Amino acid sequence: MARVLGISAHYHDAAAALVVDGEVVAAIQEERLSRIKHDPGLPLAAAFACLQHAGLRPGDLDAVAFYEEPFAKLERVLVHLLRHLPRTWRAFPRALAGQLGSKIWVLDHLSEGLGVARDRVVRFDHHRSHAASALLVSPYERAAVLVVDGVGEAHATTIWDGRGYDLRLLASVDFPHSLGLLYAGLTAYLGFTVNEGEYKVMGLAAWGQPRLREQFARIVRLTGDGAYELDLACFAHMSDADLGFGPALERLLGPRRPPGRPWDFEREDDRHYADVAATLQAVLEDILLALARKARALTGADHLCLAGGVALNALANARLQAEAGFARVFVQPAAGDAGGALGAALLAARERGDPRPAPLRTAALGLPVDADRARDVAGELGLPVRRVDEPAAAVARLVAAGKIVAHARGRFEWGPRALGQRSLLACPRDPATRERMNRLIKEREPFRPFAPAVLSERTGDFFAAGPDDMTPFMTTTARVRDDARERLGAVTHRDGTARLQTVEAARAPELHAVLTELAALGHDPVVLNTSLNGAGEPIVAGAEDALAFWLRHGVDALVVEDLLIERSP
Amino acid sequence: MNAPVTRPPRPGLLRRLAARLRTIAGLVLHFLHPARFVLAPLLIVLLLAGVLLWLTGGLAYVAPFVYTLF
Ligand SMILES: [Fe+2]
Repeated sequence: MARVLGISAHYHDAAAALVVDGEVVAAIQEERLSRIKHDPGLPLAAAFACLQHAGLRPGDLDAVAFYEEPFAKLERVLVHLLRHLPRTWRAFPRALAGQLGSKIWVLDHLSEGLGVARDRVVRFDHHRSHAASALLVSPYERAAVLVVDGVGEAHATTIWDGRGYDLRLLASVDFPHSLGLLYAGLTAYLGFTVNEGEYKVMGLAAWGQPRLREQFARIVRLTGDGAYELDLACFAHMSDADLGFGPALERLLGPRRPPGRPWDFEREDDRHYADVAATLQAVLEDILLALARKARALTGADHLCLAGGVALNALANARLQAEAGFARVFVQPAAGDAGGALGAALLAARERGDPRPAPLRTAALGLPVDADRARDVAGELGLPVRRVDEPAAAVARLVAAGKIVAHARGRFEWGPRALGQRSLLACPRDPATRERMNRLIKEREPFRPFAPAVLSERTGDFFAAGPDDMTPFMTTTARVRDDARERLGAVTHRDGTARLQTVEAARAPELHAVLTELAALGHDPVVLNTSLNGAGEPIVAGAEDALAFWLRHGVDALVVEDLLIERSP
Repeated sequence: MNAPVTRPPRPGLLRRLAARLRTIAGLVLHFLHPARFVLAPLLIVLLLAGVLLWLTGGLAYVAPFVYTLF
C-alpha cells in the first residue's frame, strides 16, 4: 500500500494529486491557491495542501510522480528546432533557456521543494499519464482510451487499449500535427488568448455556419487511416512561441480578428469569424469521430475514455457519445494537463501494488472552506453575516426570488468546472439573468452560454438525453427539450443545447440539497450554475477568496457553509 | 482541518550539486542511446549553456505557445 503524490507543472494548469492506498484523497490545481489563473509554476502550495488535508508529511510519501519525461521532451524540442532551421533560429535561445533553465531539472526541484529523497521522484510519459487519469477512475474495466491534446513529449494524439490497470499504446499522431494546436492556432487567429479562449471559440461556433469546409480541407485533413495531418504552412507552432498560425492561414481565411474588439454580429466580418469557429468545431468533431471509430475498431471495446485538453470540448464529447458507436463515454473533470498529475499518481500507485481506485464519484477533491475563518474576517470587515440552520433552503429561496447567490460549500472542485461547491447560482428561466450576471460579474462575450445544473432524476423533464457518465462532471452537452426552452431561457445556447450538470446527492450533496429544496418550493429543480470567479480570476478556494469576491462583485448573497450575507436593497 | 505541513528547508549546496550531477548523468545516458547519437555533440554545448543558466538563475518567459517549443 502506497502514498503517492502526482505532479503536473511547467506548461499550464499545474496541479498536485494525492493517492493513498489506491484511493484518490485530494487533487488541487495550483491556481486555486496561488490565485494566478492557469498558474503553470511548480505546484508546491497544492502539494502541501493535499498532504495537509490527508494529515501526511512529505516524509510519509512513497513516491512523487511527475506527469512527463523531461529528457524526451527536450529531445523533441531539439529535433524540431534543428529540423526547422533556419525558421527556428530566433526561437532557439528562448526554447533552450526554457528547457535548460528549469524544465530538465524539474525532478530535482520537486525533491528539494517537497523535501522528498530524489530517488523517490519518478516520472511517466505525458500521454500515458493522461490516459491513466481517465481510464483508472472511470467506471469501466475495459475501454478504448483516446488522448488528444496540444503535445506531450512527442505525441499529440494517442489511442490506447485499456484493460483493468493496463494501458497499451496502439496508435499515435505526433507533433507538429496536433488537433490541440489546430484549435489553439485558430483561437489565436480569432483574437482570443490561447489556453484560455478555447471555450469562447466553442461558444462562438453556435453563432456561425460551417460554411468554410473547402478552406479547412486545406488546413487539416484526414489521412484515411483514422489519422490526420495539418498543412504546416498554415501554422507557426513549430518555430514561433508567440503566434500559432502562419500567413498561409490568413491567405485562406482572411485577416486575423483584432483581439479585444467588441463582438457585433451585425458586422459582416464578425459573422465570418463565427463561421470560422463553426467550421473549426465541425471539422474537429469529424476528426475526433474518425479517431474514436478507429479506437473502437482497434480495441473492440464498448466504452470510451477521453483525456487531454481537447476532451474538454463538451460539444464534441456529446457527438462522440451519440455517433462513435460506444455504449458509454467518460471524461474525467480535469481532462487537461492538470489531470496528468492524477494519472501519474495512479501509475506510480499501480507500480507499488495498489489496487485500482473506485470510479470517481465526485470532483470535490480540493480543500473545504473554513466557515469560522469566514465569520471572523466578515466580522472584522463589518459585514452583516448571520448563521442559518438550513443553508440549502435559504439558497433555494433566494434563487427562486431571482437573486444571484455566491455559493461556497464543501471541498472545492478538481478541474475547470464549478460543480456546485464554488458556484454562482441563479434562476435559469429569464434570459435577463444572463445579462445581469455578465454585467455584474463575468464580463463575458455575449455568445458565451451559461450552464444548468439539474436534479439527476428529473433530467428527462428538461433535456433530450438522460444522465450519463459525463453529465455529473459537465463535460458534455444535451439538447434542451422544446417544451422546456422557455423555462430554461437563461441557460439554453443559441443552438438549442446546454452544457448540463446532472446532480446526485452522493456527488454534490450541497447542490443536490438546493435543487431538492427548489422542487419542494414548487419550482423546477434546475439552477443556472457558473463558476464563482470574476473575469480573469481563478475560481474561489477559501474563505478569504469568497469574501474578497463578495466585496468586488455585486452579487445578492454569499453563502459560506452555514453563513449567509445578503446585500441590503 | 489538519495543521499546516511545515515546508522543508532548502538543501545545502552539496546536496543540490549531487542532484544536478545525477540529472546530468541521466541526460547523457538518454542521449547516448544509439537512435539519438547524432544529438550527442549538441548535448555538450547544451550542458554548458544549462550550467550557465542554472548559475544565473534561469530565464522566465511565458509565450502562448510556450508548451509546444520550450
Ligand atoms: Fe497534455
